[in-house]
Amino acid sequence: MVRLVVALALTFCLTSAGIAQAAGGSWGKADEWADAFDVSGWAELTQSMRTQSPHDKVTSRARMRMELRADFDWLYGFLSLDAEKNWVIDDQTGAAIHEAWLEHTGDMWDLRVGRQVIIWGKADGLRITDNISPTDYTEPLTWDLDNMRLPVDAAKFRILGDSLTAEFIWIPVFRAATQPEKGSLWSVEPFPDSVRLIRHKADKPHGFSLKNSEFAMKLETYTAGFDVSVSVFYTWDDNPAMWYAPGLDEEGIFVDYTPDHRRLTIFGLDFSFPWTDFVFRGEAAFFRGRYLAATDGEPRKKNLVKYLLGVDWTPGNDWTVTAQITDDWIQDYESALSAKEHTPQVTLNVSKQFLSQTLTISNMTFFYLNDGEFVNRLMAEYEVMDGLSVALGWDHIHGDDGSYGMYRQNAQVWGRVRYSF
Amino acid sequence: MSIMRNMFFFLVFMLFASCTAAVCAELDGRAVAMLVHDRPDGEDRAQVCTMTLINRRGATRVRKVEMRSKDYGRDQKSIMLFREPADVKDTMFLSWSYDDVTHEDDRWLYMPAMKSVRRISGASKNEYFMGTDFTYDDIGKRSVDKDTHTLLGEETWEGYDCWKLESIPVDPDDAYARKVSFVDKISHVAVRVEYYDKDGLIKILTIKDLRKVGEFWTVFLSEMDNVSRSHKTVLQIDSIDYDTGVGDELFRVATLQRGRL
Repeated sequence: MVRLVVALALTFCLTSAGIAQAAGGSWGKADEWADAFDVSGWAELTQSMRTQSPHDKVTSRARMRMELRADFDWLYGFLSLDAEKNWVIDDQTGAAIHEAWLEHTGDMWDLRVGRQVIIWGKADGLRITDNISPTDYTEPLTWDLDNMRLPVDAAKFRILGDSLTAEFIWIPVFRAATQPEKGSLWSVEPFPDSVRLIRHKADKPHGFSLKNSEFAMKLETYTAGFDVSVSVFYTWDDNPAMWYAPGLDEEGIFVDYTPDHRRLTIFGLDFSFPWTDFVFRGEAAFFRGRYLAATDGEPRKKNLVKYLLGVDWTPGNDWTVTAQITDDWIQDYESALSAKEHTPQVTLNVSKQFLSQTLTISNMTFFYLNDGEFVNRLMAEYEVMDGLSVALGWDHIHGDDGSYGMYRQNAQVWGRVRYSF
Repeated sequence: MSIMRNMFFFLVFMLFASCTAAVCAELDGRAVAMLVHDRPDGEDRAQVCTMTLINRRGATRVRKVEMRSKDYGRDQKSIMLFREPADVKDTMFLSWSYDDVTHEDDRWLYMPAMKSVRRISGASKNEYFMGTDFTYDDIGKRSVDKDTHTLLGEETWEGYDCWKLESIPVDPDDAYARKVSFVDKISHVAVRVEYYDKDGLIKILTIKDLRKVGEFWTVFLSEMDNVSRSHKTVLQIDSIDYDTGVGDELFRVATLQRGRL
């Protein structure tokens, strides 16, 4: 069904364009059709150098996105296509449909069907209630979070009241988070190379299925001085829990492991409100029954609370400061769990624009309070002309073997040229 | 009879004199500011405008914006969609502006790359708007009560017979220390505005093309010359319609979330 919708969206956009050309005999009609279409996109080239020896490239890719929109009042179609050449991770080279959906808007409702990115929540660079679209971990820490969300095949229906919006999402095809390929600069091997790994195929729901569908609902209100939303998401865990058991045979030590995606219900709450030059934000998610990795190879089913408090400060003169504190809190904690009971983290983003807002210098830090590990991105981006920008950055990673430290070898300086059209 | 007639003329004279005195008394700085603020511009507006940013070397950048606004008594809701340039295309702003100075405006921003809506501070209206020389306050309707207004006199500027008005912000932390406006007596449009900070003149707004559309005076071309940073912005109205009957549903966050008008 979803493939059918994607195909319909494609057909709608492409054949409509064809009809538009075919209608060339009637100039008025052709103009009308041409006005309904819009093409835009961007192309960018990113190149980096590892800050440590051997100073080789960590990121080297050219990427292009083309977006086609067709607006016929009663129906709106959107198609975006990605093409990439990656000189570091071969698997990333290729072309694919990023999003393809159709939308109809009524007086008090709208419906969007097809492959789409769905974003919830109010956090900056972190995901608390934002769990609809899974994450692409292929090159973590190098992409902005905006580029790390994977689209899902879904139907999204909204009822639009005067002060309340109700959103219902149906995802009939499960899509898991994308992990880095083994051997990639970004892959994390949990066992030494000397240990033979026997991987059983990931146990996850396949294909279109009502039984295996994911469902979400959100109620939100945006009023004078206060925004708030509550949500529930009945889903599969995008990241598999890992069952493993070591063994010994005539070939030596081995580890037999099985990644398994399990059902999960996530309850969410977020809010924001302004006060003078500040906007205060909060977000919380209660993960009921999530399987968490354990040191004995038997994941435990636990409830998990993620919460975040943040503040944006715009003091003027093109300064922006964003600070956040967040925590992952495992309830009914057991010492056998791989994660700690609390995993608090703070983030700080400071940016300033210069030269009539053509030059932006920013510094973003993610800092784990438990072990002092952090990632820091210092970046300068200059808008050379409309649509053409050049950015230079330094991603510094500090730590040992924690969530950030395990990538410390990939600290890099990088440059990026981006052209939007 | 003669006494009655004299009394009648006396009463008429007194009535005229008192009315004239009342008008003169009302026409102080605040009254002129009210005339500018309450200038008829329909119940709602739909416009497309082009902002050309010119730097000190003469290099230009262009922003094309589609804007809709609707009055709710003395409050106003407006929504803006950027059509150009490509790197900010489809960026949208929604703002609910309140005439009551104690009520902070509500503002939300939709960034297409993030595909999500974010509330932004309503207080920082003195920030420059998307690299132009206009602040959010300059392009919106600033409440009359945010300034103390003084009528400095009458002056002719570029053929316009004007009131010269000085406005000093009540808030000492405001971006401007004072503004001097030349308000056309016919259209009630400020055809020239000089903006000063504590160090002196920082920018000048001049109206280059002022015409009537139906019964409404409309500024089709204006220029903000930011002398303090050698940068200017030319704002041109490409099209405008008044009283389109736009519904309230357009001015909701749900419209931003859709990513299009």
